[in-house]
Amino acid sequence: MNGSMILFILGYVLRIEGLLMLPSAAVGLIYRETQGWAYLAVGILCVLLGTRFSRERPENSVFYLKDGCVATALSWIVMSAFGALPFMLTGEIPSFTDAMFETVSGFTTTGASILTDVEAMCHCSLFWRSFTHWIGGMGVLVFLLAVVPLSGGSHFNLMRAESPGPSVGKLVPKVKATARLLYLIYMAMTLIQIVLLAFDMPLFDAIVHSFGTAGTGGFGVKADSFVSYSPYSQWIVTIFMILFGVNFNAYYFLLFRKFRKAWEMEEVRWYFAIILAAITILFLDVVRIYGTAFEALTHAAFQVASIITTTGFATADFNLWGQTSKVTLVLLMFVGACAGSTGGGIKVSRIVLQVKTMIREMYSYIHPKGIRSVKMDGKPVDNGMIHSVCVYMITFLLLFCGSVFIVSLEGRDLVTTFTAVAATINNIGPGLELVGPAGNFAMLSGLSKWTLIFDMLAGRLELFPLLILFHPSLWRDSFSRRAH
Amino acid sequence: MAKTKGLSIIIVGCGKVGETLVEQLIREGHDITIIDKDAARVESLAGTYDVMGLVGNGASYSVQVEAGIEKTDLFIAVTESDELNLLCCTVAKRVANCSAIARVRDPAYSQEVSYLQEKLGLAMIINPELETAREAARILALPTVLDVSPFAHGQAELVRFKIPQGNVLDGMMLYDLSKKLDTNVLICAIERGGEVYIPTGNFQMMQGDVISVVATSQTTRLFLSRIGFKTNQVRNTMIIGGGKAAYYLAQQLLPMGIEVKIIENNRARCEELSELLPRATIINGDGTDADVLKEEGLKYAESFVPLTGIDEENVMLTLHARHVSKAKVITKINRIAFKDVIGQLDLGSVIYPRYITSEAIIAYVRAKKNSMNSNVETLYHLFDSRVEAIEFRVNERSAVTGRMLKDLRLKKGLLIAFINRDGEILIPTGHDTIEAGDTVMLVTTHTGFNDIRDILA
Repeated sequence: MNGSMILFILGYVLRIEGLLMLPSAAVGLIYRETQGWAYLAVGILCVLLGTRFSRERPENSVFYLKDGCVATALSWIVMSAFGALPFMLTGEIPSFTDAMFETVSGFTTTGASILTDVEAMCHCSLFWRSFTHWIGGMGVLVFLLAVVPLSGGSHFNLMRAESPGPSVGKLVPKVKATARLLYLIYMAMTLIQIVLLAFDMPLFDAIVHSFGTAGTGGFGVKADSFVSYSPYSQWIVTIFMILFGVNFNAYYFLLFRKFRKAWEMEEVRWYFAIILAAITILFLDVVRIYGTAFEALTHAAFQVASIITTTGFATADFNLWGQTSKVTLVLLMFVGACAGSTGGGIKVSRIVLQVKTMIREMYSYIHPKGIRSVKMDGKPVDNGMIHSVCVYMITFLLLFCGSVFIVSLEGRDLVTTFTAVAATINNIGPGLELVGPAGNFAMLSGLSKWTLIFDMLAGRLELFPLLILFHPSLWRDSFSRRAH
Repeated sequence: MAKTKGLSIIIVGCGKVGETLVEQLIREGHDITIIDKDAARVESLAGTYDVMGLVGNGASYSVQVEAGIEKTDLFIAVTESDELNLLCCTVAKRVANCSAIARVRDPAYSQEVSYLQEKLGLAMIINPELETAREAARILALPTVLDVSPFAHGQAELVRFKIPQGNVLDGMMLYDLSKKLDTNVLICAIERGGEVYIPTGNFQMMQGDVISVVATSQTTRLFLSRIGFKTNQVRNTMIIGGGKAAYYLAQQLLPMGIEVKIIENNRARCEELSELLPRATIINGDGTDADVLKEEGLKYAESFVPLTGIDEENVMLTLHARHVSKAKVITKINRIAFKDVIGQLDLGSVIYPRYITSEAIIAYVRAKKNSMNSNVETLYHLFDSRVEAIEFRVNERSAVTGRMLKDLRLKKGLLIAFINRDGEILIPTGHDTIEAGDTVMLVTTHTGFNDIRDILA
C-alpha cells in the first residue's frame, strides 16, 4: 500500500474540510453567534494539520484500487471525526458518540439525528449540518479531484471508490474534467433550487433545505421537518429531490444535447416508473385521510420522493399512515436512487440488473444449453459485473442482518429495530415507530449508535471500500513491507 | 509543460503500440479515448492511465460517435489488422474532419503506402516493422556505433557510441575537440553512470561514456575514423526469424551489398521468403538451436540480428552470439517494462520498435498542436526519454529569429545542434542566427517542446 500517498490525500481532504468550515463561521458572524468561533478554530486547525501532511507530494504516486479504497474510507472517517469537533466545542452535542453520529449522518447524507430539539441549535451549527450533506452528496474526493493538481490516471481509483453505483464511467477523458463537470452541474442545480425556495421562505431556510435536498440528506431546521412549509415549497423540494436522485450522466447528456442517449438510460426510466407506481399506491392509500385529493397527492409524492432518493424530509408523520403505505415506503428505502446520483440505497440499476439476472436464471432452467446475455441500456453486461452485483446484494444482506441483531440487543420493538438499520444503511434518515419522522435516534445505546455509524459509512461508500479495511491481508502486506 | 489545451485523440487498438502511445500522449496532456474489442484490455488501460475507455469495434460508426468523433482532432488506428486500421480511418474521415493515422504492416501494402495515404486522405501511415528494419540497417551500415538517427531528411545524423578503453577521447576536454581532431562535429549529450549531461566546453570525456554526436553523414564518418573507429559497413548478416521485420531488413540490406542469411523455423514461410528475396540465403531450421547456428557459421558472421517475436529468445541469442563470435549484434525488444535489466546486459545496439512508432506519432501530434509558427519535423527520445532530440521547421519570424544565438536567453539543459538552411547544415556558433525557413535541431533535457520559442528562458 502506498502509505505516504494516502497520508497526502488525507491531508488534502482535511485542508479542504477546514476551508469548508469557514462559511459556517461566516454564518456565525452574520447572526452574531459566539459559536461561530468554534467553527473558525476547528477550520484553522484542520487547515494547519492538513497542510502539515500534504505539503509535499510523495515521490511515489502510484495508486492502485486498494489504495483508492483505503484513502476514501479513511478520508471519510477522518473527515467525520473532525467535522464532529465543532458540535462538541459549542456544547450543543457534548458527547463524542452523538457528535460523531450527527456528523457521519450529515456527510453520508443520511439525515438521521440524535437531536431532540433541532430548533434550539444555533444557526452556524444548523448550517454546518446541512452543508455536510452537500459536501457528502457528490463526495469530497470528487471535489478533491476537481481542484487538486493530481496527475496520473490511477487517481480514477479514488473516484471509483467514492461514487455510488455498480460501475463508474467517465463523462470526458480526464478525471479532473469529469469531476469538475459533475460539480458544476451539482452547484448549478443547487443554486436554482435556492432561488426557487427563497420566494417562499427565509433565505437561510432556503439555503439549508437546498443543501439537504441536493445531497439527498434530510437535515432541516424545524422539529417537524417540512410540515409547516407551503405546498409550493413542498412541491419544489419534491421535484428537486427526484432530480438529484437521477444519474448525473443524464444531465451531462442533456447538457451536450445527446437527448437520445439520455433517453436510452434504462435505469433512469425505471427510476421514474417506480416513483410513479409508488406515488399511485400511496395516493390511493392516504386519500381517505386527507381532505382534498391535492393534499393527499402532495403528501404521497413528497414522501415517495423523499424516501426513494434517500433524502428523509417529511411533510407528514407517515408513522400514522396505513400499513400498505408504510410497507411501500420501507421497500422504497432499499431500492434507493440511481447510480451516479447523490442518493443512497441499493440503487435502481442493481435492482434492475438483479431482476434481469433472475429472469435469465429461469430461462436457463428451461433451456439448459441456451445462451442469453443480460442487457442494460441495450448493451450486454458482462458476467463479472453481474457477479459483483450479486455479491454486493448478499454482503448488504449480511451486514444488514448483523446490524439488526446488534441493535436488537436494545430490546426495542421489531419495526423500530428493523427500520433504524434500514434508514441508516440506506442513508435515508427517519425510519418508523420510535425512529420515525417525529422521533429521533437519541435514546439508542452507544453500541447501537456506533453500529449505525458504521452502517451509514458502509452504505455511502458502497460497502467494499470500508469493508476491505478489515481484511487482514491488506495490513499484513503493508506491515511486512515496513519490517524490511 | 503543455500550456495550451491538449488535443482530443481517439486510439483504436490497445495492443503494445496502443499502450505506448497512450502512455506518451497522456504525458503531453492530451484528452484520450481508447477503443478496443477486448473489455479486459480497455479496463486495464483505463485503470492505469487517465483516459476514457470504450469497448467495441473501432470501425463502427456508432462506436466512433460514442467516442466523440465529431470533436476529435486526431484518430489513430493501431489494431492487429491492417485492413481494420484502414477501415477505421476511412470511416473516421467520412464522419468527421479529423486527421487519421493508421498502422499498416503487411509488405503487400508497403509498396503502396503513399498511394493509400493520399487516396484515403491519411495524415500518416506507420509501419513499425519497416522502421525497425530501417534502424537496424542504419546501424549495420555503421556497425561501430550504438545507433544512428537521421535528421533533416537524412542530411545530418545523430550517432551514439561508447568511448572504449584507451581511446583518444578518454580524458579529452570538449573545447579541445575540434582543435585536436580538426572536424566540425558537435557533442550534444553524454551519459555517464546513469546520468545524462548536456555538456559545456569544459566537460572532460572519459572512457565508458556514451557520447551523442551530431554532424553531416560525411563528417561523422571522418570524425569516427579520426578517433579510431571503423566506418565500413558489415559484409554479411545473420537474421534469426523470418517475420515481417526480417523481410524488410533483408530488403534494405541486399541493395547495400550486404549478404543476408535468414534462419526461419517454418518451412512454408521459408519458401515464401526465398521467392520474395531471391538473393538472400534462406535456411529452414531452428534459429534458437546453437548447433544450427554453429553449422551456419555464426562464429564468422560479421553481424547477427535476432528478430524473433519473443524478447527472451532475442536476448539469449544475442548473449550467445556475443559469447561465440565477434559479430555486431542488434537486439530487438518489444516489452519496455524490463528496461532496467536490459540496460545492464551487454546486448550491443538495442531497438525498441514501440518507441520508434510512438516517436513519429508524437512528433506529428506536437506539430499539429502548433502549426502556426513552427513545426516539429522529427523527434527522438534518447536515453530512456530523458533527453529529446527535436527538429523544428521555423515558419515565421518571432523572438527567436534574426538574433545572434549568443544574445538569446536560452533555457538551461538545451543545445542547438545544427541549423539547416536551404539544405546546408550549419553547426552553429554564437554568431549565427536562426531565420524563418530554417530547420533547427535541438537536444534538450526538457520534454514537451512544441514551438521553437519554447527554447527561450
